[in-house]
Amino acid sequence: MWAPMAGLSPRLALPAFAGATRLCLWRSGAAARSRRSLSGFPPKLAPREGLRDLPPGVPRSRLESKRYVLSPSLAETVARLLLRDDGCDLILEINPGPGILTRALLQSGARVIALESDKAFIPHLESLGKELGGKLHVLHTDFFKLDPRSFGVIKPVVNSKLLFQELGIETLSWSNGIPLKVVGIFPTKNEKKMIWKVLHDIYSCTSIYRYGRVQLNLFFNELESQRMMANPQNPNLYYALSVLWQVAYDVKLLHVEPWSSFDISSQSVQQEKPQSKESSEQQVQQNLCLIQLTPHKDLFSQQLTSVNYDVFFHMTKQCFLKRHGKLIDHLTSLSPIDAMDILKEMDQDKNIKIIDMYPSDFKCLFETIECSKDHTFKWLYDDFMEDVII
Amino acid sequence: MSALRWGRGAAGLGWALWPVGRPGLRAEEGTLGGLRGCRRRSSASPCEQDRRRDWGHAELLEVLEARVRQLQTNSVSEVRAKLVDVARLPKADGSQSPRKVEAGNEGAALGFTSHWAQKLHKEKLVMQRRKQKLEETLQKENRKHQLRVEPQLLNRELADWLQRWEHGSPRSPWEEQLAQLLQEAPKQLSRSEEHGHTGRISKVRYEAQQQRLLSFLECCLLVDQLPLAHHVLVKHHSKLRQQRALTLPMYNTLLLGWARKGSFRELLYVFFMMKDAGLAPDLLSYAAALQCMGRLNQEASAIQRFLKQMAQDGLQLQELFTNLPLCKEDKAVLLRAVRKAEPTFLPPQPPLSSSKVNSSPLLKEIYSTDKPATYPKQHLPLETLKDLFQQQLSVEMATVVTVESVETAPSLTKEVLQARKTLQELRTRWEEELCLALQQTKDREAQAARKGRPSLFPYLCLLSEGELTQLMLQALQVLPQQGESLLSLAQELGMRIFNRHVVQRKQLSDEVQALQERYFKYLHLLASDTQVVMSRLPREHWEALGTSEASQDQPWPLALVVQLGKQLAEVLVQTVKMPSNLAQPQDTQKLIPVLYHVYSFQSFRQIGILKPHPAFVQLLETAAERTMTFEAAEVPMLCPPLPWTSPHSGAFLLSPTKLMRSLEGTIQHQRLLEGCPPAELHGALDALTQLGNCAWRVNGRVLDLVLTIFNAKGCPRLGVPSPASEAPRPSKQRLPANASPELKTELRRELARCLKVAREMHSLRTDALYRLSLAHHLRHHVFWLPHNMDFRGRTYPCPPHFNHLGSDLARALLEFAEGRPLGPHGLNWLKIHLVNLTGLKKRESLQARLAFADEIMNDILDSADQPMTGRRWWAEADEPWQALACCMEIARAVRAPSPAAYVSHFPVHQAGTAWGLPLST
Repeated sequence: MWAPMAGLSPRLALPAFAGATRLCLWRSGAAARSRRSLSGFPPKLAPREGLRDLPPGVPRSRLESKRYVLSPSLAETVARLLLRDDGCDLILEINPGPGILTRALLQSGARVIALESDKAFIPHLESLGKELGGKLHVLHTDFFKLDPRSFGVIKPVVNSKLLFQELGIETLSWSNGIPLKVVGIFPTKNEKKMIWKVLHDIYSCTSIYRYGRVQLNLFFNELESQRMMANPQNPNLYYALSVLWQVAYDVKLLHVEPWSSFDISSQSVQQEKPQSKESSEQQVQQNLCLIQLTPHKDLFSQQLTSVNYDVFFHMTKQCFLKRHGKLIDHLTSLSPIDAMDILKEMDQDKNIKIIDMYPSDFKCLFETIECSKDHTFKWLYDDFMEDVII
Repeated sequence: MSALRWGRGAAGLGWALWPVGRPGLRAEEGTLGGLRGCRRRSSASPCEQDRRRDWGHAELLEVLEARVRQLQTNSVSEVRAKLVDVARLPKADGSQSPRKVEAGNEGAALGFTSHWAQKLHKEKLVMQRRKQKLEETLQKENRKHQLRVEPQLLNRELADWLQRWEHGSPRSPWEEQLAQLLQEAPKQLSRSEEHGHTGRISKVRYEAQQQRLLSFLECCLLVDQLPLAHHVLVKHHSKLRQQRALTLPMYNTLLLGWARKGSFRELLYVFFMMKDAGLAPDLLSYAAALQCMGRLNQEASAIQRFLKQMAQDGLQLQELFTNLPLCKEDKAVLLRAVRKAEPTFLPPQPPLSSSKVNSSPLLKEIYSTDKPATYPKQHLPLETLKDLFQQQLSVEMATVVTVESVETAPSLTKEVLQARKTLQELRTRWEEELCLALQQTKDREAQAARKGRPSLFPYLCLLSEGELTQLMLQALQVLPQQGESLLSLAQELGMRIFNRHVVQRKQLSDEVQALQERYFKYLHLLASDTQVVMSRLPREHWEALGTSEASQDQPWPLALVVQLGKQLAEVLVQTVKMPSNLAQPQDTQKLIPVLYHVYSFQSFRQIGILKPHPAFVQLLETAAERTMTFEAAEVPMLCPPLPWTSPHSGAFLLSPTKLMRSLEGTIQHQRLLEGCPPAELHGALDALTQLGNCAWRVNGRVLDLVLTIFNAKGCPRLGVPSPASEAPRPSKQRLPANASPELKTELRRELARCLKVAREMHSLRTDALYRLSLAHHLRHHVFWLPHNMDFRGRTYPCPPHFNHLGSDLARALLEFAEGRPLGPHGLNWLKIHLVNLTGLKKRESLQARLAFADEIMNDILDSADQPMTGRRWWAEADEPWQALACCMEIARAVRAPSPAAYVSHFPVHQAGTAWGLPLST
């Protein structure tokens, strides 16, 4: 909260906070919790440099629902983790905000494209770019609203095709290296929807994946990241999305950081009014995990393609409806092909349960069914069963 | 729906475990439960003696069983001795004869030391305990196979009383017991509300369970499974928690059932249970007891005493005949019983229900008695109407109508014939298999009922297996390619069973005959060649012609309907199989299911869907069968509908129809309707009756034209849907192996688009096919469209596929069966109507519209004479088909010798807003 406060007179700031409080009253329970646990973290003084020039009047409401990398040490760690020598130094940063990570990245020699959805930060970021020698390209865009699947008009919206053309990013074929690394914090708002969007994008090879195996380095909350990496060994966290993530990407946990490094309130100066925290709300007080998602080279095969991936999605979802059920029971709802035949073909035990199947097994299952030659009808799935916007 | 499937799977296993020759439901009416019976026998039963003789073969279990029986007797000493014998048995090693062992032991025991005696005693105790356990399990086993008759009472005093009566020899006469029971009956009609069920949801669930149980019991009565109902009631009664859920109507249901059979003992048991539950008998309970007395021909004194008791309880004898929903036969028996005690008794005449008049000021004129009632007469003579009634009656008795499709028949290629043959073979096999599967399901449900659960068993007995099979195969036939939600399918199946059952019951009772007589009398009011003395509205006349019998068929609770339907759907899924490759000869192949449970994920909701195998859909398409089956209530009526007299009676002759259409399960509306005083509904009832009495016929010329286009390529512009062959097809070109992702995505989109369009076209086509086929079916008939309304009072025709509500095409197909001469201004109104239909002169005055019509008379006549080949002026109108029909009508009127005398059947809209029925010219 302190960043915008710098440009605001205390008299002006007060009503703004009051407004936010009023809006968020119903969440006061959660906020109370947050306050309690907050005491465990000694407030750190955030770096001042670079933020002095921030324009006044950044709307608070927008700021409050977002998280930014605010600790320079974290920024350095992330920069180090990202820029290991794998031949790609082009980094796309999502919502850099105050630009602390941007600075660290630039200083470690990366080329950075900053997609900032909040206009208020843009002049500041641009000046940062100039200061550090022109390797920064700032754009006013929301990364998570690129190429909306519903084709609705959402502002600020940019077509990734135009964007990438403008940036001069070359297309690399799927089997080649990584054209681009994306770094940022995964939004908590509409998290599920966003996850599905990313997954649809990669499986259908659209949006940013048109340009090759774009690597994502995103901060997820701890629970979600545990789920992403779950497999039969931790069955409680294992669910359909775990499979879809792991089939598409090589999922790697790079770093765990306590939430306080991102939280505006805990970074802010002591004298701030306590109720302002009520609006910084909702973020569950847990660690954020930096997850590296590198698309698998062999994601697409003769069987699983960007044309039929929705069947794979449906299959996985259906299987996880009853996680403790047997695969053989699910198969009757998936495919008209005899379940025993499929299992035999897959060389699986007939008593295998969903919860015991690794993500690769699901892909194998899909390919087995897709492969079966002597059946005209391989799936019971029908387009209308999923509200996928194509 | 896999959950359901798994559940069934487990049940299926259970089924496999049952012995094959399991006895069916046995009703030991008049005998007591097995074990109790044994107990009463003397200990020295002959069979036991036998068993002792061939001791070597006897198994331990049997021995113990025999001993257990002996234990029941008082000869303890003897048993003790034998106990030893049993305990020693394993050691006996078979070398010694048992008799010898016994004798030896007996002899030895006398001389043994006290230590030995103690040990012996211990062993005895152990054995005794074991035996008790065994006895309990045996008892349980026994109970499983018999229906319980004797109740287990929770009130100890009462239980003792019952025991005394049971064992008293000779038994005191039952009517004495009854009198005694009634005397001490608690003065409480229903239990005070339990406070445990405070939560709204749990209360709703609790009520649903009660309703479920009650309707189970009632249904058992219908299908003559009274002992089973009794068994379930006794089971529930014997557990305190379940007993709380039992209500007076449940006990009364059983009382009535036993009374009809004249089984006093069971009747008395129920009375015992009622008393035990703390419920006071009400009028219906008394009526049941009295009926039972009547059937058993009791002496007058007993009945007199009984009636006295009734009077003491504050119940009027007269009320027995007026306030109770009893059938005629019941009432006759009751009257006989009462007459025996009071020979001069006269049952009160039922009050005329039309005595009350609607008091709404808006309807004052309509219901005022000074003016004769106005209602439309039919244009047909009495005899014709009578004939029509017979036709409609036979249609409804048959429950389904088979209609020929209007689609052009496919050329009978080898392929088509082969497909039809395959389909026929499959159906024949399925019919047999489904019958078998239904029997198994019934057995399973019966088993569940024996365990005390209100299962589906009686409902499955309502219709024969053959009928149920037909219902299921019909559902399979019309299942769309993309499947249907299991819930709606189940609901539809369940409702159909209910409707069939109602129709069937009416057929079995003499209701049909009564209906016919009443209807024929009623027709005097409507027919063109008859007069009635008193001028009344159709409903009033109908009510005056007889008392309306209380409808005995309350609609089933929704949960039940769905459960029943789901059960049938499950049988269908499990049973209906086809060879995995339909093209090859059948017997060598593996069979695969035709129906599959699949899930649809729609924005975080999961919907269970029943989907047919695509190969089966293809087979149906190839076979292109020419007939369609409709339920009788989906087709317009062939005679004037019954006038609406209550929320449940009216419209179709036999098929149940609701006055107010509502979402299934919204019972609050129905309850409000039922609670409404009859007179307040008169306005709605009479309005609907009036709408339903309008006779219609098909406009044949328009139908012919539509059919030509329909069987060519259709014409979406004119509202005639195209056949599937006209659907857009995705480009055929194969994707190159190294196609770019963009190309693939594009292909995916195109595929999806084509599929979507094809689906929409298919559903439109099917809708039109039903409509046109029905129109064709009714082409030379006069028919009526019974109406009902929704909760806002909007009226709708009941037959869903073919009616006057809907698109331009739908309206153009219909005209009034009764024609009227146009009169001096009729032609002008026709012309104005035509201009209205074109939508060309929306802002002009009527005069200007008329002038415009005269201006374009050439076009009108051309349209009428050469609709397809001419200038096709009509096709550009807003409502082309109605415009065309109007053109034809104008042409005929203009060319008639005198337009004013021309008899027109053409419907002309007057005020067109939200008004379902166009008014006659």
